[in-house]
Amino acid sequence: MEILVQIARDLLLAFVVAVGFALLFNTPRRVLWVAGLLGGAGHAIRFLLLQHQVGIIPATLSGAVFIGLAGIFMAHRVHTPPVVFTMPACITMIPGLFAYRAMLGCIRITDLSTAKQNPEVLAVTVHYFVITASLLFTLAIGICIGALLFRKRSVKSMFRRTF
Amino acid sequence: MSDASPPLTQDRDEHASAPACRVADFLLDLGAGLLASGAHTGRVARNLERVAEAWGYRMELFVTFTGLMVSLKSEVDPTERVARFRRVPLPGVHFGILTEASLLTWRVAEERLPIGEVEQRWAAIRKLSHHPRGSVLAGIGAACASLCLLVGGDWRNAGVAFVAALTGLFVRQEVLKLRFNPMIAFVTASFITTLIAGMDTVFHLGGSPEKTLATSVLYLIPGVPLINSTIDLIEGNIPTGISRGVFGGFILLCIAVGMSLSILLLGLHNF
Repeated sequence: MEILVQIARDLLLAFVVAVGFALLFNTPRRVLWVAGLLGGAGHAIRFLLLQHQVGIIPATLSGAVFIGLAGIFMAHRVHTPPVVFTMPACITMIPGLFAYRAMLGCIRITDLSTAKQNPEVLAVTVHYFVITASLLFTLAIGICIGALLFRKRSVKSMFRRTF
Repeated sequence: MSDASPPLTQDRDEHASAPACRVADFLLDLGAGLLASGAHTGRVARNLERVAEAWGYRMELFVTFTGLMVSLKSEVDPTERVARFRRVPLPGVHFGILTEASLLTWRVAEERLPIGEVEQRWAAIRKLSHHPRGSVLAGIGAACASLCLLVGGDWRNAGVAFVAALTGLFVRQEVLKLRFNPMIAFVTASFITTLIAGMDTVFHLGGSPEKTLATSVLYLIPGVPLINSTIDLIEGNIPTGISRGVFGGFILLCIAVGMSLSILLLGLHNF
């Protein structure tokens, strides 16, 4: 029961994040809800996987790939290019905290005596930098999953053959 | 001369007779508009190809980060050919224009709209407004507050993140209005945001003030250039992929510079 409440909280917060960024990106008003829904669902999937001891990179990849695939499906329904809502949806999983720690590490390294006294600051900084880059890359993979998996050149023509 | 005997080729001629110069100018305008609204290279190529084909032209397209070159050759009259170039501004993000342009080019391909009508429709799309400023500011404030809650901040941290992000975005919009260099706008906005977000660390508010600092600048993240860079690289458009990546990376650097200035000013790196 507890876990259901947590998932609902996660989904709701991610919904707000995705809609906020969709507003910033000027996503058409009629599809704002799609961005929110995909962002919420993708982030909830990641949350659930993290609860089950899946690593943060595979968990984020799963969430992003879900957003990418569901985005292609929704694009056909609402007649918009998928990127219009997959982009704000994937922003919900942006690795802000890791990026911040990497940057803070860089500031510490500028002081040589700190770096010499406490050499592990180097390892920590590099770790956060690498994990930030990896997470950003998994988000990019999620958004262009269509270009990777399907040979058709546009989402619209993918569904057109059925008519 | 009745309607019963129209020349068979009239319909086709009408489209093919749009002069190559006019079609090329329209294609460049459309392409530049798409690039400026956050389209990746592949999207621009697909949209323009759809239109060129519908009007009976073979198109060759060269997209760079700062310019667009198109050469057209009529499929009906091989002497009708033209090559044109146009500079494009730095990319921004406007997914509304992207959507409407995509719908318009599909209509051109399917219904063979004449060029005059398409030019008018495109001019209307270019004037498409942004979302109301107030709702964007409130939306971004709420988004950054929610991100803060998602990474484990409490309500007070989220409140500070809300104010910090909202104020920072407002400052960025104002700086951009004054026509400063866009990179200055990023540095200023991230400086102001971090200055406000540092307040809960300074005054020991909430459970995890570090989370506020980390999440309140996220509205500045150049997600669109970075993702477009990856898509371009995947699709083999290496030069534009590299340019977009460098552009996005440099914006990240600007954000980091603004944050560092604030953090050093507040002395937060010693916490």
